[in-house]
Amino acid sequence: MSQLLARGTGMPVGPTPSFIRWIATRDHTLFWRLLSLALFCGAWEVAGQIPVNYALPPFSQTFMAFVGMLADGSLLSAYATTLQPLVIGIVISAVIGVAVGVLMGLRPLAEWLAAPVFIVMQAAPMAALIPLITFVYGIGMTSKVLAVTVLALPVIVLNCYKAVRNVNPSLVAMCRSFQGTRWQQVAKIVIPDASPLIFAGLRLGISAGFIGIVLAELLITPTGIGDLITYHRSVANYAEMYATIASIIVFSAVTVGGLQRLEVSLFRPEKREIA
Amino acid sequence: MFNSNPLSHAARAAAALALTLGLSLAPMEADAAGKIRIAFGDIASVEALGFLTAIERAKERGVDIDISYLKSEDIAAQAVVGGQADIGVGTPYALLQKVRAPIRIFYQMSTLRFYPVVNTEFYQDWKDLNGQEIAVHSRGSGTEAIMTLLARKNGIKYGQVSYVPGSEVRTGALLQGNVKATIVDSAGWRLLQAKAPGKFKVLPVEGIDASDEALYANTNFLDKEKESVAILTEELLNTFREINAKPEVVTEFRQKYNLAPDLPSEVVEDIGPYYKDAADVGLFPANGGGEDAAKDDFEFYTVAGQLQGEPASLKVADFWTLEPLTQALQKVGQR
Repeated sequence: MSQLLARGTGMPVGPTPSFIRWIATRDHTLFWRLLSLALFCGAWEVAGQIPVNYALPPFSQTFMAFVGMLADGSLLSAYATTLQPLVIGIVISAVIGVAVGVLMGLRPLAEWLAAPVFIVMQAAPMAALIPLITFVYGIGMTSKVLAVTVLALPVIVLNCYKAVRNVNPSLVAMCRSFQGTRWQQVAKIVIPDASPLIFAGLRLGISAGFIGIVLAELLITPTGIGDLITYHRSVANYAEMYATIASIIVFSAVTVGGLQRLEVSLFRPEKREIA
Repeated sequence: MFNSNPLSHAARAAAALALTLGLSLAPMEADAAGKIRIAFGDIASVEALGFLTAIERAKERGVDIDISYLKSEDIAAQAVVGGQADIGVGTPYALLQKVRAPIRIFYQMSTLRFYPVVNTEFYQDWKDLNGQEIAVHSRGSGTEAIMTLLARKNGIKYGQVSYVPGSEVRTGALLQGNVKATIVDSAGWRLLQAKAPGKFKVLPVEGIDASDEALYANTNFLDKEKESVAILTEELLNTFREINAKPEVVTEFRQKYNLAPDLPSEVVEDIGPYYKDAADVGLFPANGGGEDAAKDDFEFYTVAGQLQGEPASLKVADFWTLEPLTQALQKVGQR
């Protein structure tokens, strides 16, 4: 740091060779990530202090609101409520999604039957279906689980299907020439080779599930995170409202990021070096 | 000669673009002055007919009014705060206290009138609800505040409070037996009487007087558009006084001004009974609220959790601007 200040004056000067060396020599991913985060929070703080809009609280106020909500337990109990339908929905989507997707990739009949449905489901704005779900399944847990599933399932299915379809044909041919059975071909060649895309599908499915649960809690009955957002908006606690919204964004980003790390460390030895 | 000079081509294109932009911007600028943009946080239905009539009458007197229907009162309030609308409909007390936006309420259009209903197989009066489950609209809502205030007045405490948004949903839940005690609007109570006469009863509601829908606007707008606001306020007073004196006149208003023309017939049938009930219980204030209404609201919305602090310490001037109403009352007379 002393090298960055002109001697005696304490004034900062331009980047010195050692600073450039510091940048060039090491991996500073974490530093740049933190800097980008700090810039974002700084811009938010400035926008809130001006203020750009009366309803936009500065970052500092939002952060304090977040700490307050953690301390009084309202945020934790909201997450406990929100996570139930989310986890159930994602487990159902993952199990059914991977099974159906792999089957669609292996069997032309399954592909013809199911592919159009899932392609339409992925292309359609599924949020528009949520009011319809409430008509059929009411306002309880079932509807929320279904909202998660409806958003997460098509992504998982289509990724698995494409993954199985794009399995390296020479590997399959090799298995056949070694007189591998059909089961061995699927278990030892197809699934392992398709697993990167399958995992990518699962990650995308989980982030779609987050969209589903937030939509459901805002549009069906306000519970958990959706309740915190609507309640704080209705009583004009905008800092708490922003803190809740920011927390669910961070939570989903961390979950999806964590899943990627887990995948690399458990199943992808070849990528461990790079990551 | 033609197409030979690319520069003249570009110049012509630029001129055309400038002309188009100029033409499209000019009327927008002209419209911005002398126009009232109202943000209404609901769809136009039976309850809005009185308000819509007053708007039509103000239009007849030369005020240009544009009304947009938004999903909820909160979004209407956001539109007013953000400057995309001039007048909002609702009771934004929390917003006024916490956000310190230069927004003031200037007219109380209707008061909160709800019916706490119990299934008579299980409960008969307020005392029976001690420790029992009730259902209200949502956390921090008016229906929750009414039920909380009435529990306090009757010296009881509820067991669990569950949130079921929509009066019609709670009415349905009462009829199906999923809910044994809840609070519904007048349409809901009429439906209960029609579908299951004698099975439900309304518990007595006393001493609750708070705004349900009020009009509020940015103070700059109120200063700038004094005349238009005065006309609108006068027409609101006139219209609701006529409705209070003769509720069936609303059907005539609807036909005369072609209001909410696509209402289904069973909803149209509800217009008469709704406005008769409204006039009977004093839903529409004859003098547009004012200082007393503001003080009643302070007490009620403090219980509702919308306002913080002692109701007596809140200042009317921080929430209301009384000038438009006072002037309009001078013109049409106090009742």
